[in-house]
Amino acid sequence: MDAATPLLSDYAGLPGTWDELFTSSGAPRPAFRRAIDALDAHSRAGFAVCQGLAERALLDQGVTFSVYSDQRGTEKIFPFCLVPRMVSAADWATLERGLLQRVRALELFLADLYGDQHILRDGTLPAELVLASKSWFPQLQGVRPVGGVRIHIAGIDLVRDPQGTWRVLEDNLRTPSGVSYVLENRILSKRVIPDVLDAARVEPVDAYPGRLAESLRSVSPVDPGETSAVVLTPGPYNSAYFEHSFLARTMGLELVQAADLFTEGDRVFCRTTRGPRPVHVIYRRIDETYLDPEVFRADSLLGVPGIMRAWAKGNVALANAPGNGVADDKAVYPFVPDIVRYYLSEEPLLAQLDTWVCAREEDRRYVVDHLGELVVKAVDEAGGYGMLMGPQATKAQIDEFRQRVLAEPRKYIAQKRLELSTCPTWVEGRGRVEPRRVDLRPYILNGRDGPWVLPGGLTRVALTEGSYVVNSSQGGGSKDTWVQKPEAA
Amino acid sequence: MISRVADHCFWLGRYLERVESTARVLGVTRNLALDVGLNPRHVWLPVIIVSGEQARYAESGQGRTDDGERVQDYMTWDDKNPSSIVCSLSAARDNARSIREVVSLETWEALNALYLWMGSPRARVEWREDRHAFYRRIRTSMQSLQGIVRGTMLFDDAMHFMLLGTMLERAGQTARILDVHHHAFQALGSHEVIETALWLALLRACSGFEPFMKVHRGRVTPAAVARFLVVDPIFPRSVRFALRAAVSRFERLRPPEQADLPGSRSAARLRALADWVAALDKDFDVAGLHELLTHVVDETAAIAGVIGTELLGYAEGPAAEMSAQ
Repeated sequence: MDAATPLLSDYAGLPGTWDELFTSSGAPRPAFRRAIDALDAHSRAGFAVCQGLAERALLDQGVTFSVYSDQRGTEKIFPFCLVPRMVSAADWATLERGLLQRVRALELFLADLYGDQHILRDGTLPAELVLASKSWFPQLQGVRPVGGVRIHIAGIDLVRDPQGTWRVLEDNLRTPSGVSYVLENRILSKRVIPDVLDAARVEPVDAYPGRLAESLRSVSPVDPGETSAVVLTPGPYNSAYFEHSFLARTMGLELVQAADLFTEGDRVFCRTTRGPRPVHVIYRRIDETYLDPEVFRADSLLGVPGIMRAWAKGNVALANAPGNGVADDKAVYPFVPDIVRYYLSEEPLLAQLDTWVCAREEDRRYVVDHLGELVVKAVDEAGGYGMLMGPQATKAQIDEFRQRVLAEPRKYIAQKRLELSTCPTWVEGRGRVEPRRVDLRPYILNGRDGPWVLPGGLTRVALTEGSYVVNSSQGGGSKDTWVQKPEAA
Repeated sequence: MISRVADHCFWLGRYLERVESTARVLGVTRNLALDVGLNPRHVWLPVIIVSGEQARYAESGQGRTDDGERVQDYMTWDDKNPSSIVCSLSAARDNARSIREVVSLETWEALNALYLWMGSPRARVEWREDRHAFYRRIRTSMQSLQGIVRGTMLFDDAMHFMLLGTMLERAGQTARILDVHHHAFQALGSHEVIETALWLALLRACSGFEPFMKVHRGRVTPAAVARFLVVDPIFPRSVRFALRAAVSRFERLRPPEQADLPGSRSAARLRALADWVAALDKDFDVAGLHELLTHVVDETAAIAGVIGTELLGYAEGPAAEMSAQ
């Protein structure tokens, strides 16, 4: 095999694993035939050049994230693989319906929890489990957010099992990040492999900022035309700062920091060079516990004192609403299908992972006896931290987790390790493509007129051979996600 | 606009101007050192003084001013010298990065590209192999950046704050360059031919050689050059021109008829300085040049401080100038 070899000529998936682009017999999936042919028209050497161009462009444009550990904020590019992840029009239609259903149900669930709590009072969900969530804020009970929306932006992580069934891995209803990479990755595809993109007939993604600005204005306490909306960031040293500035820039909104805002008479104002200016909608990208020192952390110097009172009075919309974390808590996740049935009287359209809830005695007993086969997750950790990957763990690690689960069962859930699907991925060191595991995070916007799904999403890929962890903090990268346009009728 | 954002715009404008000015001064001084057979100390010491870094340079242990390579290295690469090109460029980029939603994408990309280039081995190669091209690249990158700003951004408050910063910086830079060199030339008390070469170099350091020749038809005298750099009404780097441009930016930010807007002290002081410099045109006296330029340098710094407290959200106090990020 040499550099002139076509890119995908000897690609082979992993046994017992779904591959996004190829069937188990190694043939291109029929839906992607044209695009795969176009991709295969590139030689390995040619593709290496394209991949290099894409990486160079990311650096030049400053599409970077800051690394937390470093005080001065070293900037790194989020590793990018130019081989696209494709989703067929048929698959997408199913996913879209399922995502809309899930967001509608979770929205109703939050309204109920922070309202009369019917779902707990009639025993459909165990109250002690839900209300023990670290993200349940009793002080917010009774608040009805202006515009009637709590989940303005959702990111719902999906994975695919060996049969090709899509399953929800987790919900992100607080401040889901990554959408800027969806848009930036598409710019790279257009620039570097336009031939392939053209052959694939892909839904555009660049409507997102406009739709987001529109949904934010739709929940404003004043007329949308009079609305002043801002994006609130912790500042340039935050790891997601690029995205904050990206969204502000593409929506044409101002990017503010907490110190730029103040409240007076339960209204929020911005300090400007011409004096105070009212603010009506805040897309906040700071953690809710840092929003208002009056309510959450008296010790915090960050935040805007009084902002929660302004929110509770309906004078400002906060997107997403504070308190949403209780609905994306990993301990609540196993009950989401019940939540869908309860509020919508529909069967859930999206499958999810079989999950053991360690707080339940029966489940706990199973979990501690089968730790070697399971993935155990701490419910209040994210980013791939606080996890036990049973099948790869040492005996000492398993014993340690057994103690932890028995000590604090509410803190843990367990799932079977799923053979995440793979996608052909460029492997720099070997100059060729190999299968690597992927997930998919679609983005759902929700305004006064109901939810909308961006036809695309962030595909994260575990770049390390054999790895199942796609998080960028743990060696993951991203791919452009190509949702096929439906065939013209 | 948000005061913090305005502050970043203001300092972005200042640092962009500072990078360009430093690159030009270094490039020109290098040529001058080759042209005239002067003691290198007389050629390079003013460069350090113009930047206000004399004390730090002496402390840094490499404090030899008779070695042009050391001075250039210090003023270009030293990351402990806040006036070096790398530091000013990195400060400009930090300011732009904090307001990426305000600066246009093309502005950001051009600035980021120069920043990345400065950090790459390619920059060191060019520095070693073609010093002239190195300084020219930095200068023209900054000039094209100023063009990109004007060609791709709204002419709104963000732009006005940037250009206000640029123009105040420029007024101060021209005044400093003229003051320091004038002083050095006097101390030399040298031959007329050399003196002419020095004044020509000074004009070049302010991009003023060709414009000067157009106005004065070749008669290079110290008084004519000094007068040109201070009070010429149409030379874009004269102190007078820069101050008038600063006033006009400021009045777009804060129209004089809207007296209730913050910024009244800045407006009055800036206008007073601009008027004072314009009035010098009547009977320009080269003998009082040092006092005159000292006043311009001190007053531009003080005005930046007042703008800081009135508009950019600085705490009241003499340290305002130091809160630059």
